[in-house]
Amino acid sequence: MTGSVGIVLVSHSAELAAGLRELLLQVGGQSLAVEAAGGTDEGGIGTSYDLVRAAIEKADGGAGVLVIPDLGSSVLTARVVLDDRPAPDVVIVDAPFVEGAMAAAVIAGTGADLAAAVAAAEEARDVRKL
Amino acid sequence: MSVNSETAVVLPAHLHARPAGQVVQAAARFQADVEIEYAGKVANARGVLAVMALGATAGTTVTLRATGPDAAEALDAVVAVLSAAQ
Repeated sequence: MTGSVGIVLVSHSAELAAGLRELLLQVGGQSLAVEAAGGTDEGGIGTSYDLVRAAIEKADGGAGVLVIPDLGSSVLTARVVLDDRPAPDVVIVDAPFVEGAMAAAVIAGTGADLAAAVAAAEEARDVRKL
Repeated sequence: MSVNSETAVVLPAHLHARPAGQVVQAAARFQADVEIEYAGKVANARGVLAVMALGATAGTTVTLRATGPDAAEALDAVVAVLSAAQ
């Protein structure tokens, strides 16, 4: 694994999560540990407990994992997964999906720790784009 | 010892997502704090969203300021990224 903080993108849409993952790798570097967990097990719109759990395991390279949900049931599903397998270094973060993931991914790519990645994602709420 | 360093760069390309990411990666290798100023807005070079939000376009000039023990080196690294942006 890369040794950098892992990031899991939880979305109702597989395409949304996969597209954001692609963007993060373009900006933050191809070696980032970013996993997409979008859609249901059948590929429809919704969220999947199993996909989220598998993505967390895959993203975990030892430096912790940041789970970023888009909204609604993504938050609930991510919470249930984390409640079932509590780990101090796997955290769900309250941040805008695209901006939060981008800020966290770029910082993670510099070798920053989990706390710094969490802070970067949360700060994204307050960064104006215009 | 704290050192202040300042320089200006004319951007060969828009300071959009990819070069902003490269700026953060370059700045993070140093202890010094690096700021980028454009049109009255100032962004910490470690914040990719803030760097993008500067909205700095090709052909314009940004001012870089670094403060810290390795300010000059940090500035050189960020200047190199910005000068090579595509």
